[in-house]
Amino acid sequence: MTTGISYTEALAAFNRTNDYPMRDDALPKDDLLRGFHPDQAGEAPIPLKIGVNSGMPCHPRLAAILQSNALIDDVNIVGAEIQNTDILVIGGGGAGAAAALTAADKGARVTLATKLLVGDSNTVMAEGGIQAAVGQDDSPQRHFNDTYKAGHRLADKELVKQMALDGPDVIRWLIQMGVAFDVLDDRSFGGRLKRKKPGGATAPRILSCKDYTGLELMRVLREAVNLHPNITIMNRCPTVELLSDDYGNCAGAVVYNLERRRFIQLRARRTIIATGGSGRLHLNDFPTSNHYGATADGLVLAYRIGARLREVDSFQYHPTGLAHPPHLRGGLVSEAARSLGAKLVNGLGERFTDELQPRDVVASAILREIAEGRGVERDGQLGIFLDVTGLIADNPNILKEALVSLAHLAGKCELDPSTTPLMITPTLHYQNGGVVIDRHGESTVPNLFCVGEVSGGIHGRNRMMGNALLEIISFGRRAGARAAEGMAEAFASRPGIHHVHDWQRQLSMAGLPLDIHGPTLFPDYGHFNLAADAKLASSFAAE
Amino acid sequence: MTQDTTPQVLLNPEFHVGPDLAGWYAVGGGDGLRTAMADPKACLTTIEASGLRGMGGAGFPTSRKWGMLAERDAADKVIICNGNEDEPGTFKDRVLLETSPHQVIEGGLIAALATGANYLYYYINPHHMKGLAAMRRALEQWLVDDLFQDMQKALGKSMHIYVVESSGLYIGGEETAVISSIEGGFPFPRVKPPFPVESGLFGKPTIINNVETLSNVSHILRNGADWYQNLGIGKAAGTKLYSLSGDVLRPGLYELPMGTSLHDLVFIHGGGMLLGKEFKAVFTGGPSNTLLTKKDLDVAMDFDSVRERNSRLGTGAMIVISEGTSIVRKVTEYMDFFAKGSCGQCPPCKSGTFQIARILERFSTGDSTESDLAALENLCKILPGCGRCALIDGAVTVVESSLETFRDEYLAGIQRS
Amino acid sequence: MTENSVRLIIDGREVSADPSKSILQAFSESGGTLVSNVGCMGQGVCGSCRCMVRRKDDRQVNMELGCETQVEDGMQVAFVSYFQPKRPHVYDMKDVQDSWSLYNTMNEIFPQARNCRHCSGCDRACPRGIDVQKGVELAVNGDLSGAAEVFAECIMCNLCTLACPERIRPNHLGLFLRRATTAMSLRPVDLMQRLQEIETGAATIDVDAVDVEPTP
Repeated sequence: MTTGISYTEALAAFNRTNDYPMRDDALPKDDLLRGFHPDQAGEAPIPLKIGVNSGMPCHPRLAAILQSNALIDDVNIVGAEIQNTDILVIGGGGAGAAAALTAADKGARVTLATKLLVGDSNTVMAEGGIQAAVGQDDSPQRHFNDTYKAGHRLADKELVKQMALDGPDVIRWLIQMGVAFDVLDDRSFGGRLKRKKPGGATAPRILSCKDYTGLELMRVLREAVNLHPNITIMNRCPTVELLSDDYGNCAGAVVYNLERRRFIQLRARRTIIATGGSGRLHLNDFPTSNHYGATADGLVLAYRIGARLREVDSFQYHPTGLAHPPHLRGGLVSEAARSLGAKLVNGLGERFTDELQPRDVVASAILREIAEGRGVERDGQLGIFLDVTGLIADNPNILKEALVSLAHLAGKCELDPSTTPLMITPTLHYQNGGVVIDRHGESTVPNLFCVGEVSGGIHGRNRMMGNALLEIISFGRRAGARAAEGMAEAFASRPGIHHVHDWQRQLSMAGLPLDIHGPTLFPDYGHFNLAADAKLASSFAAE
Repeated sequence: MTQDTTPQVLLNPEFHVGPDLAGWYAVGGGDGLRTAMADPKACLTTIEASGLRGMGGAGFPTSRKWGMLAERDAADKVIICNGNEDEPGTFKDRVLLETSPHQVIEGGLIAALATGANYLYYYINPHHMKGLAAMRRALEQWLVDDLFQDMQKALGKSMHIYVVESSGLYIGGEETAVISSIEGGFPFPRVKPPFPVESGLFGKPTIINNVETLSNVSHILRNGADWYQNLGIGKAAGTKLYSLSGDVLRPGLYELPMGTSLHDLVFIHGGGMLLGKEFKAVFTGGPSNTLLTKKDLDVAMDFDSVRERNSRLGTGAMIVISEGTSIVRKVTEYMDFFAKGSCGQCPPCKSGTFQIARILERFSTGDSTESDLAALENLCKILPGCGRCALIDGAVTVVESSLETFRDEYLAGIQRS
Repeated sequence: MTENSVRLIIDGREVSADPSKSILQAFSESGGTLVSNVGCMGQGVCGSCRCMVRRKDDRQVNMELGCETQVEDGMQVAFVSYFQPKRPHVYDMKDVQDSWSLYNTMNEIFPQARNCRHCSGCDRACPRGIDVQKGVELAVNGDLSGAAEVFAECIMCNLCTLACPERIRPNHLGLFLRRATTAMSLRPVDLMQRLQEIETGAATIDVDAVDVEPTP
């Protein structure tokens, strides 16, 4: 059992000086990651046994769900209402909203089905900001280089190039929708955008609306989606299975209406999955900064219908999740604080890393301090200090101007950030890999698109701050535009869940358990059981 | 029809002369006012002896309300006649205003004499267009009538009478909302105290009487307290207008002795149940009270007897439900009414009625669960008393009562889904 | 449960929880089925967990966020389902272009705003403590950017819209003004320049030049 330095002692050490000494025992980056990053030091990945990625390493807990049996059988959708739509968007976060708006603007009839509510997503929680290379000291090439390198040179170069080039246009589109960004000297017209430097970047590139950029962005997109005449919203309708046609192409989805406890078949010419990530699976038993709905639903369904995946053994642990108080554990302290100059301090009052390195490096450095006994211990929780006292001393208005959310969070922790450091520890934050897509967001399964965190290839094995918000809008719009083409084609005939039966053959032949059902839809502490809720008659139903 | 066997005051066709003042005088109108003018101080005693009570729902003794205003030492005092009537199943005041407006006005003038009030407002729901028009025409005639001039002399100051339109909103019938509305604002209920009689319309001592209450007054003054008292059955005084609706053969407005049994109203006057279906329950006057059921058929429908059954007579509205009608669907319908009627200045009332309506809708569409039932009962515990007025309390009462008495209908909804 | 655990009732469910827990956490940890009224789980930005809270011996019922409110002994809680205005104010930001007529446009889309009765129901309903009524008043009086600023931290939980007797939909009005003022006036020159460079092909990306230090 790892222990740390008691909170009282650590606070005394912290208060001794404002100029913390830097430790001199830094490990080479690769050694640090190998020794302490949860992808490598946590539960060992296992190879997938079935599906198009057989043999590919995957986190064991995710593998169990990826290789799960379906939630429903054919008999369960007998009598289910059928609705037709040109484009089905699954997921109500920023990526889904951007895709839906773009497709609807092109005249397609769009149905947006979401498990919770439109806008109730990870996007709304994003605090830091969005990357776009607009500075004179910056360029799309630089954005590309930084992103590619931060991802350990494992990303799909075409996707990264596309996203970096889209950046400025994404910002223009957002402004046209009415999303505000901070500008220098309050000069709205003809001024310059306020920029922050994300960890791992060679130039300041983060644009933001204070430190609630995601809220600003999502409330605008949600309103636009709600008001769009071509978009039908189905709140509280999680997708339980995709529909496929005779050729194995995607033909829509089966959703479960939680309010009416009924299944609905949504038949669509094109389906866009934008269900986000998987933080709520709590891989390696980490707390998560993620939204309640982040349970990898889209990833599981896409894999089952035959979409290729990549880097599903790679996750981002955000360096600064709250470690104390216990009931707020995992909640995020935005990287905005570090990019403005906040310092990380261990229990001995020392700094131990450059705070603006890529997230995986900083998180590993923190985990090392904790593992080697230099963390801070309080009420059984271990963490290290994040210090913003210096920032506030330099600029007393910073809490109002730039760190609004941090101030709100400190209030909930019942501490004064101008005198007391926050106690933080890495928190499960992002799924780096996902469904393989092309530059239009189309997966390897015809008529199936995947955008946002559910997709892979853009961030390699490590994502930079601000690239998630950029990705969801860039690829959301791309997928929406591409999906809206070909609306004259006929609907697929005889859509059903044929692919599920193929999948079950594979499960049986591989000797995998048939009684694990997925996707999980809600975390286990949501105490939801679809079979019981829907009163599924089949013996097949999940227990 | 058995109506003609019962004493009739307010619904006596003889008095239904419309806005024709001469016609009103021809049937004995004006006599009551003259009696009051002869001895204004005696009015209170007469009304007290008559046993007249507030017919708007509360059943508060009219003499006591008048007495509180009479005691106030103020240059200006106000009486408001509340004709906002908007509750589902209540349709009595609109009939009185339309058929016999002078009856209402004369009652108000007598009340003014008894209390020393010099402002009289008739606050009328604009949706009762005919009643509103009749009142306006009736008032024009009074203002130039000699009897009115004499009445002012007896009062000792000039009398101001106005007919004003209410907002037509349900909430606008609440006493303090009436005041807010006449003052030109939205009919928001106000925090009490101060009570209207302390500080009411424009800060002046004010009382609010229902249309039906004031309609009785001229008859009492003319025929005496004993006459009125004896119209009722047992201890109850006078007559009551019962708005009978729902699954009966002959729905309608009935004036019957106060204290007539529910059974007689439904099975004798109302002609019995529609299609002979089994009687199930009655939503009384609001419908924001505890449901009456089969075991209550013998209840005498006066304020005190109904209260003994833990319900309220309210406005006298009786919405009769047969075995062919779903209680859950009815309650859902009423809750929708309350949710729309809630004014919003107390958010828990607005969101509370919204949330109850939302859950009830799931019961009525067959989508409910056990947890909906728990959530519904929870709301009934949390919400009472959270508003400035009693809207939320009435809404909760009817839900709570239906849950207690007809739980099986709720459970059946859960089993169906 | 620890010794100092508190007991409360959430949507009819009797719950025993550590006093450090939020309402949402206490509900989930008690085994309650949590598939709605939940989202960001503690950040207080999604607005899904709005609830009515009545504390022990208190007549008052407050509107709060379940993820941010800590449990107390004797508390009674009821979640409020999500709500969308039935007759939404329909507009498309692409059609709101003429900044000279923004005030008129606002009045056309939100004609009810000028009917505000100042009942403060919206202020009492707001779980974020926003001066909603003041925001509406500023908008009606023509201080459009001032009104927009009032709603800067609005999470669009719609409780003020639910409360408003005049159907003003204050949060949507605030959002409209934020959107319109931004869409009409935010024109960063650095962004314009970079867009032009990309559109003319002057700024491009060579995927093989990842290790070459880019020239400014």
